[in-house]
Amino acid sequence: MYSFLFYTILEVFGLIFLILSFSVIAIYLILMALSALEMRDFLRKNRFADYGDIVTSPIAPGVSILAPAYNEGQNIVQNVQSLLSLHYGKFEVILINDGSKDDTLQKLIESFKMEKTSYAYHPEIETKAVRGIYRSKNMSYRRLTVIDKENGGKADALNTGINIASLEILACIDVDCILSSESISRMVRPFMEETNKKVIAVGGVIGIANNCDVQDGTVTKYRVPETTLGKFQVIEYLRAFLMGRMAWSRINGLMLISGAFGFFRKDLVREVGGYFPKTVGEDMELIVRMRRFMDEKKIPYKVGFVPDPLCWTEVPETEDVLSRQRNRWMRGTIETLQLHQALRLNPKYGILGMLSYPFWSVFEKSAPILETAGIVYTAILLVIGDFSTVYFVALLLMMYLLSLLVSSFSVLYEQIAFNRYKDKNDLRKLIWIIITEPFVIHPKVVFWGLMGHIDFIKGKGGWGSMIRTGFKKAEDRKNLAEQTTT
Amino acid sequence: MIRIFCWTIVGLLLFLPGWIQAQEDFIPEDSVEFRDFLILQKEVTGLGYRFFIPEAQLPDSLHVDSLFQFSQTVSGFESRYFVDFTKAKELENTLINKGVSYRLDYIVLSEVVSTSAAQEYLVDLVRDADYPIKRGELKPTEDFVSLASQTPYSPTKQFKLKFLSDYRLFVVTVMIIFFFLVASIMIVSMLSMKAGKNKRENLQKEYGKRIIAPLTSLLFEKELHEIQEMELEEIHSFFPKNLLARPMYQHVLIDNIIGLNKKMKGDFKEKLKALYKKLGLDKISIKTLHHKKWDRATMALVQINEMDLVEALPEVKKFTNSTNFHVRSMAVATLLNLSEKVDLIFLRDQTYPLSLWQQMNYLRIIRFVGSQKGLKLEILFDSKNQSIRIFGIKLVRILGRVDLIEKLAGIAGGVSEEEKEEILETYAALGAYMETAFINDCLKSSNRALSLAAAKAAAVVGDSGSADILVDLIGAETVFRKKHSYLKSLYGVDKDKFAEVTLNNANPEMLELRNHILDPMLQNV
Repeated sequence: MYSFLFYTILEVFGLIFLILSFSVIAIYLILMALSALEMRDFLRKNRFADYGDIVTSPIAPGVSILAPAYNEGQNIVQNVQSLLSLHYGKFEVILINDGSKDDTLQKLIESFKMEKTSYAYHPEIETKAVRGIYRSKNMSYRRLTVIDKENGGKADALNTGINIASLEILACIDVDCILSSESISRMVRPFMEETNKKVIAVGGVIGIANNCDVQDGTVTKYRVPETTLGKFQVIEYLRAFLMGRMAWSRINGLMLISGAFGFFRKDLVREVGGYFPKTVGEDMELIVRMRRFMDEKKIPYKVGFVPDPLCWTEVPETEDVLSRQRNRWMRGTIETLQLHQALRLNPKYGILGMLSYPFWSVFEKSAPILETAGIVYTAILLVIGDFSTVYFVALLLMMYLLSLLVSSFSVLYEQIAFNRYKDKNDLRKLIWIIITEPFVIHPKVVFWGLMGHIDFIKGKGGWGSMIRTGFKKAEDRKNLAEQTTT
Repeated sequence: MIRIFCWTIVGLLLFLPGWIQAQEDFIPEDSVEFRDFLILQKEVTGLGYRFFIPEAQLPDSLHVDSLFQFSQTVSGFESRYFVDFTKAKELENTLINKGVSYRLDYIVLSEVVSTSAAQEYLVDLVRDADYPIKRGELKPTEDFVSLASQTPYSPTKQFKLKFLSDYRLFVVTVMIIFFFLVASIMIVSMLSMKAGKNKRENLQKEYGKRIIAPLTSLLFEKELHEIQEMELEEIHSFFPKNLLARPMYQHVLIDNIIGLNKKMKGDFKEKLKALYKKLGLDKISIKTLHHKKWDRATMALVQINEMDLVEALPEVKKFTNSTNFHVRSMAVATLLNLSEKVDLIFLRDQTYPLSLWQQMNYLRIIRFVGSQKGLKLEILFDSKNQSIRIFGIKLVRILGRVDLIEKLAGIAGGVSEEEKEEILETYAALGAYMETAFINDCLKSSNRALSLAAAKAAAVVGDSGSADILVDLIGAETVFRKKHSYLKSLYGVDKDKFAEVTLNNANPEMLELRNHILDPMLQNV
């Protein structure tokens, strides 16, 4: 009986891996095709778009930019100046100092001549206590509001900003991101094109600024980062943004808008209760909640995506920081999916329940587990002598080729649509990374994802006991500094 | 640690028995296969066999056969006890040749047992490691060909190829073929697209170079009337006839003319428009209007708009209610821009909701042409499409059409709440002090959004009645944000009442709100 059970389990697992492999191939080929179609349509539409009007038109919606800051004293003044110089008519910048321990607030007060106001702060969304709300009498800084509050994490800081935002659209960004001067007008367009489907949120592409030249808040010269991890992330970001999100956007299945650069309809964000502060995946969780709300209310809606390069950020280039980032992302994904289990294969939620949620569950959340299980399965087959070399090599080769194909296509999309990496050496470097990534970096990413699962099970960062003390970047920097000094 | 230990135990329980038990699987269950298996083993401790012939008479030759040594029993004849299974086949053949029916009985420890009991006995031996199973191919005792000739062919498995019988390998192969097929199609199409794009770009550059010189010389050397009077032959001396017939050349020529038209001013614009018509490019633009690709049709509309092709307007009008967002947007924009007398009926009759993007574009054109063409915006108030009606109200506000306040007042009572909010905003923007009755009615509305919009309007054009209503609303309101809005409006309408309400109130919230509203740095927050 034991023998029968053992071989049955092996057979079942074999079948599962076969189905999974087939699904991976089919889904990625479909995603590639969908993203190509979406990119084609986007480029066509862009030929007829005149963004000049938006800046001055009284019909264009107002945008409240929410930028949380934690220990950002070093660059905060330049970052805020860059935000204030964005090319748009109706916008405000709300900078939320989330209990920084450095001189962030002091620098803001001095540089922008800020004064404490008598703002009557009665939050609709619960947040940590606000110590003061500052504005400037200097008309040059009339768009700026600074909130000083007790530390409560990124989501809590954003919720404070949401509570006092006065304009229709919320732009939630990381304060150290570099934004193109056209970023608001381009991101606002999908909201303005809304007809019979309410546009609830719009996501943008995050570019990698490492090793690039930046002038007046815009990237002027693109170069791929020098480290292997940096280059790998260029490929990864292209795959995620130009392929994944473009494709999901085509079928209105987007479940994630990057927390570093996302635009939301304020009234809806307030109605759903803002960001959930007890998860590390607050960006994904908010989108899922907003979509769920719209589906439950049966209001037709859309989550838009703009593939134009409008926002750049520096990515971690050391394994230590990157592993923590990936661990956090994995925990965020697990937490969001756990929180919204009601969506799973529920036809009531349409694409979200029947496609997006299962995709994220299997191919994002469970990917590290499944890949590890695949390795264990292969090892068992080897030990019991049931290992088929032909079968194994064929499957491995196919998955490797799929990886090459998907990565190459995302680089190709970038070249066709935007052509930012003009230097042939850069392209050669990217191609080398594409070839080596599945063997060199992917196993590490799988391991980090697996550690994310383990940390989630252990309760690290899970809601209930988890209270974040600041933003990861600042936290990472602080930890790195501590390591360097010891 | 305990968890790891538990998992290890579970793993061992799952896998180790599998290893031990796996030996049993080599003992066949089928009786014929079992006999063949025993032949391969030659001898098994404690297991033997004998033949039994269930007949009353036995052929003489068998009676005296020393090999079998048959002895008579009540029900037939039984042979002696054999232990060497390799002889079983030979013995069976002897019996078959003699034409007697027989039965093979297994004997375990001197007891005649059934085949299954013999199998169980062997299983026990193997499990207890008392007997090592011999494995190997059975050697044919007879010539294969002669054996095969006696047995008609019938396949025992449906797929004789190993490749087809291994379903996993088969599926993987199918997947690989599918993958390569799709990937190849995608790569080839991408490469061909890229190659096509490069080719087009090179051709466009080449044509661009050939076009720019004659175009410039025509613009600077010829007068407008000279261009209008030019013969075809003369035109072909600038733009060769064979090239003019090529769609790509036409496309580049159109792009160049439109590009120059955007940059140039005055007489040059007229010359370009004359040339556009002289070259027959206007016909191409009009023809492209009906292109099945929406981007080509939209581009044709852009060309018509840029080159003022007024004769194309009847055709353009057909696209104002197109299913494609971009086509209908550009068609409306073209009509607004080019129509000599815009009656806006085509806009009124649009069935699709008007987006803010479209409103922004139309507003830009209407602002530009409005003063020259005397637009009758009130037509839009009659639209069946709510978004058009709202756009009409917005236009009144943005264009400052105070003359239409009366018309707005006429419809204000019977429109939707959203339209009422828009009207209130318009009243505030245009300073419609005579409409306070409507504002006060809206203030009392149970719809909070409408009431708040009315409060905002009251702050600008409200009267003492508005102030009284606001005081009541402030007293009843529990939501802080809304209370703030009402108080702010009250401050706009009547500062004394504002002071009275905020200073003579025990609620500390009121003082907070008062300080907020009076803070000069928070005027717009």
